[in-house]
Amino acid sequence: MSARRIPDGGRVDRSRQVRFTFDGTSFSGHPGDTLASALLANGVSLFGRSFKYHRPRGVMTAGIDEPNALVTVLKGDVREPNIPATMLEIHDGLVAVSQNRYPSLAFDVGAVNGLAGKLFSAGFYYKTFMGPVIGPLKGTRFWMFSEWFIRRAAGLGRAGYATDPVRYEKVNAFCDVLVVGAGPAGLMAARAAADEGRRVVLADLHARPGGSANWSDDTIDGMAATDWVESMIADLSGRDNVRMLPRTTVWGYYDDNTIAALERVTDHKAKPETGEPRHRTWTFRAGSVVLATGALERPLVFPGNDRPGVMLAAAAERYAAEFGVLVGERAVLFTNNDRAYRSAAALARAGAKIGTIVDVRDTVSAAARRLAAECGAELLTGRSVVGTEGRRQLSGVTVRAFDARSGAISGDTRNLAADCLLVSGGWSPALHLASQAGARPRWDHALQAFLPPEPTQNWVAAGAVTGAYSTAEALRQGHEAGRRAAGAAEGEETGLPLASDDGLDPTPAPVFEIHADGKAFVDHQHDVTADDVRLAHREGFVSVEHLKRYTTLGMATDQGKTSNVPGMAIMAAAVGKPIDEVGTTRFRPPFAPVSLGSLAAERHGHLKPERLTPMHDWHVANGARMLPAGLWFRPQIYGLPGETIEQAYVREAKAVRDGVGIVDVSTLGKIAVQGPDAAEFLDRVYTNVFSTLAGGKARYGLMLREDGFAYDDGTTWRLGETEFLMTTTTVNAGKVMQNLEYFLDVLWPDLKVHLTSVTDEWAGAALSGPKARKVLEACVGGTAVDDATLPFMGIVRGEIDGVPVTICRLSFSGELAYEVYCGAGHGTQVWEALIEAGRPFGIVPYGLEALGTLRIEKGHVTGAEIDGRTTARDLHLDWMLSKKKPFIGSAMMDREGMTGSRRLQLVGVVSLDGRPLNGGAHIVESSNPAAPRDSIGHVTSVCYSPALRKYIALALVEDGKARRGTRAFVSDPLRGRFGPVELVSHHFFDPEGKRLHG
Amino acid sequence: MAEPLSPLQPVWQPGRHGNLSGGAGVVLSETHPSSIVQVAAWAGSERAVIEAIREATGLAVPDGAGGGVATRTKAAFGIAPGRFLVVDQAEGLETELRSRIDAGTGSVTGLSHGRTAIRVDGPKAEWVLSKLFAVDFSLTALPVGSGVATQHHDVLAQIQRSAAMRFDLYVFRSLARSFWTTLCHSAEDVGYEVI
Amino acid sequence: MLITCPYCGPRDVSEFTYQGEAGRTRPDPASTDRAAWDGYVYDRLNPAGEHSEYWQHSGGCRAHLLVKRNTLTHEIASVAFAREDQRIHSAGRRGKGARP
Repeated sequence: MSARRIPDGGRVDRSRQVRFTFDGTSFSGHPGDTLASALLANGVSLFGRSFKYHRPRGVMTAGIDEPNALVTVLKGDVREPNIPATMLEIHDGLVAVSQNRYPSLAFDVGAVNGLAGKLFSAGFYYKTFMGPVIGPLKGTRFWMFSEWFIRRAAGLGRAGYATDPVRYEKVNAFCDVLVVGAGPAGLMAARAAADEGRRVVLADLHARPGGSANWSDDTIDGMAATDWVESMIADLSGRDNVRMLPRTTVWGYYDDNTIAALERVTDHKAKPETGEPRHRTWTFRAGSVVLATGALERPLVFPGNDRPGVMLAAAAERYAAEFGVLVGERAVLFTNNDRAYRSAAALARAGAKIGTIVDVRDTVSAAARRLAAECGAELLTGRSVVGTEGRRQLSGVTVRAFDARSGAISGDTRNLAADCLLVSGGWSPALHLASQAGARPRWDHALQAFLPPEPTQNWVAAGAVTGAYSTAEALRQGHEAGRRAAGAAEGEETGLPLASDDGLDPTPAPVFEIHADGKAFVDHQHDVTADDVRLAHREGFVSVEHLKRYTTLGMATDQGKTSNVPGMAIMAAAVGKPIDEVGTTRFRPPFAPVSLGSLAAERHGHLKPERLTPMHDWHVANGARMLPAGLWFRPQIYGLPGETIEQAYVREAKAVRDGVGIVDVSTLGKIAVQGPDAAEFLDRVYTNVFSTLAGGKARYGLMLREDGFAYDDGTTWRLGETEFLMTTTTVNAGKVMQNLEYFLDVLWPDLKVHLTSVTDEWAGAALSGPKARKVLEACVGGTAVDDATLPFMGIVRGEIDGVPVTICRLSFSGELAYEVYCGAGHGTQVWEALIEAGRPFGIVPYGLEALGTLRIEKGHVTGAEIDGRTTARDLHLDWMLSKKKPFIGSAMMDREGMTGSRRLQLVGVVSLDGRPLNGGAHIVESSNPAAPRDSIGHVTSVCYSPALRKYIALALVEDGKARRGTRAFVSDPLRGRFGPVELVSHHFFDPEGKRLHG
Repeated sequence: MAEPLSPLQPVWQPGRHGNLSGGAGVVLSETHPSSIVQVAAWAGSERAVIEAIREATGLAVPDGAGGGVATRTKAAFGIAPGRFLVVDQAEGLETELRSRIDAGTGSVTGLSHGRTAIRVDGPKAEWVLSKLFAVDFSLTALPVGSGVATQHHDVLAQIQRSAAMRFDLYVFRSLARSFWTTLCHSAEDVGYEVI
Repeated sequence: MLITCPYCGPRDVSEFTYQGEAGRTRPDPASTDRAAWDGYVYDRLNPAGEHSEYWQHSGGCRAHLLVKRNTLTHEIASVAFAREDQRIHSAGRRGKGARP
């Protein structure tokens, strides 16, 4: 192919030059060019190497269906592979490279694969590399061994490792009518719906609306089709109720008219504006949808049909009309239909010599003959191209007589010189979105094409996607579809623009393949040949879905846009059934590749929002190492310079036992439980009784699940007759809230109770240690905090530094302790006041590790022990199970298997070898570390206990209570830890609870 | 007592940011209402609660899902069946409402600290919010005064349209800083001013 | 998939939390009928077709909704508040939003 830019024509801006590089060579094009058109204009014919055989490949199409001309775009260190050159708009500084070639595109060592063609047929890899049945590389081992080489040799572009620094975003859009495709039908539909006052979105995957009107030689409304497009763009873009989205590929059609699209916002720009994303994912919720997605021309399958210079007829027409690029000087057209004659005529007008038109049909319509004569082409009917010549570029084709009914080839071979072969095998409606929307396409025998099904969702199809290929029909259907989608009343069709009529017969001959000697490609991108399809059939694959997976036909990045129908036709012929009985494959999203960045959008990096307590900044400023806990960030330790984590938490925990410490407990779930039935509600959801709780008192509560297992625990405070403040564990806060809401909405709608999350309303600080009261005495005003005024589980209100506070005397550490709550906005102020008041007493802020250590020493359980498999009895919380009332879980908690000695029960574990214990380690009785087996339980929580000066743990052990005082071993083969332990009561420290009372 | 501390303080950058070629598309601010209160009615007591809100604030909340009204200093709108968010720049609203709504009528919950009030104001407000919420912000779907309860991933938000191009967002305080950062990021392409 | 919340209007399914099969009868709390409790806690219909289920509008008004949905087509036949005696705002349901 010796392509070149013609002196005029096309809509590129010839007054400006755009510089870009391809494989390191510098080229120039014009604004409006794609990489494909710009390279063709520069005489480049070789775009890449094929997937398996490394065959030279050129450009075959002019759009989204391109299987061959895939390139990798480099932006700094970021590489994006597999971009169709036909969709890539050039800009200054664009750097593109070809793919799957080594060492260079022109000379490629992998091309030797082509000589061993038979070896690489369908299923070859799996069959060949499965290895012998015996020996060192038997079975799949040989595959493992070979895979690396295979994966290197076969493939498309290579992804990069660099972090993509650019911005992506998502946006939600609501509209009454979404029109997909801005060809003549889509433009008409958008205008008709907009005329009805509807909110309309018109999305098209190309840079410029217009579709076929941008390159066909039609006249619409008495003007050139391109001028009509201009007038429509001007009309629509002037309306407030229309949003035009160019460069926007609608790729997913989901339930309830939820539709996903990708807008390529800045790919065509040398430099994005501030804040502009590279891609934008649109999620539309559309009242109704007009699918005006057009049709895709399909190739014919014949030997040598992949040689650079072989191109779809309409693509060549489009390069001439839209880009002013003539793809060849001396062209041959090979067709099974009339429409392609227009492409030949267009090329002839642009200056190419159309030597010959080869038509598989015996007879051709008069209109087509007139076009052939216009081209000055020799018309060969009842003939077929049976081969192509040339190496990296087409030099000629061979033609023989062909019987379109039997497919038989006969007679002499005739050679025709050509640098370009235009091919047309008819058209396939682009019904991908209609198929995604739910129904199975139907086969139209006359059009030899699948047509959209009856809608199961609210959409209307218009234009070529319905199989109506004439522009006049597209305009009419578009107008009607727009009105229908807008819910307009039936009415006279007025104001429809007139379009020229080419008088051509839209039906192709039912010919898909010319079965002659040589590799004839069906799926160019995955190098699947017609023989591969037949081989799959011989090997027993009858379902089209299996055929796809075995041969990988239609499974590449183009998803078989040019190959699905020919592939199915060849399969149908092999099976001996009509195409519609072989079936079609169901299209799934996405219609075209979607950047992962656009799906992640703003959710990059941490992915989740950070949930911060009111005192977060104080913690960070005071040396806390922060630890994620769900969405929350909590201080793990406040390390001093040079301290290890263990040294830090041991110091912090010891300070609590010896003096006083302060910890941020703002993350505890807090739920306002309000209403006349609040107490009754709590009695039903907690295992213990709350209706007897006096005002101004708190009580520890336990919840079970309906199946009787332990669920969550926390304290609940009675603030008034009808008002409670429930606290939950940090991690379960959301789940518990939802659970309680379910109970009220579904189980007990008669209860007058309101639940509100007030977690964020209150900042909480727990003050623990023998000197805790002294600290409060030094800073609390408005109330006394002595034992009489504020007994254990008592609540008082007062103020600290002028801020109203609520203080509850609770203890998680086993020490004299108080939880101080205030409005979150004053959290840091109160926290700092407490620290200041505590300074004379050596107050120390402590983190999660020390908090854990203090509670393990006391044998208090958390999520590690309430793990969804333990019962209240397993955790020695039987005392909390009220016998006076039913509660959630009470009916199921004592059924078979939930009680008895075989259950895992909570025990304490003391390390006897002075070494740390690990969470998750097994408890075994056997002293043989080499044969760890017969686990009797596992470790749940571990720490170094400064109070005991030992490494201790909590564990769940079979019949644990009876084993107290016995010896066992921890076994943790994964981390290489084995050692003797003693099983003890989980109350390691101060079992009588004397310290609690100061 | 010092002023309550805003969770946005460390990321608060007053001034104009982003692409200002077309001016600032939105103005972002924190409205710092002293009172944010949730009022919830028992089934059948909705009208009594609406009346109590009117007595306490002078705001006549229209009946109907999401119905609401906003003035320069006060606002109220429906957030759930029988539930309303009532906001006042002045202190004392919770006490005021509690005095008018007894346990037999409904419940009153103070959220002045627990919710952070963020205002998005300007011609591009709908555009910026559309990036974060799957809610139709057009004036016909969400008239002035009315509100919606929705979410941006993990961030629940109650949003009131307080003027044609102005939205007031109430988000959980603990997530407000993350949300603010995302909001500013989303407004960069149209330019934004923080005041 | 969109669920039309009777209060909030049509919203994306991501705003909702599935809360299990509807129509199960919880035994009397004091009942000791093991089979009845086992059935309530563990048995689910899992039909291919019409299904009654609870969805909580957790990312909106937080109400539990009784949704009749076809598990094969995702088609939703009806949505109502789970609270049977729900009278609130029956006149104030939002329209269908984007739908014409």
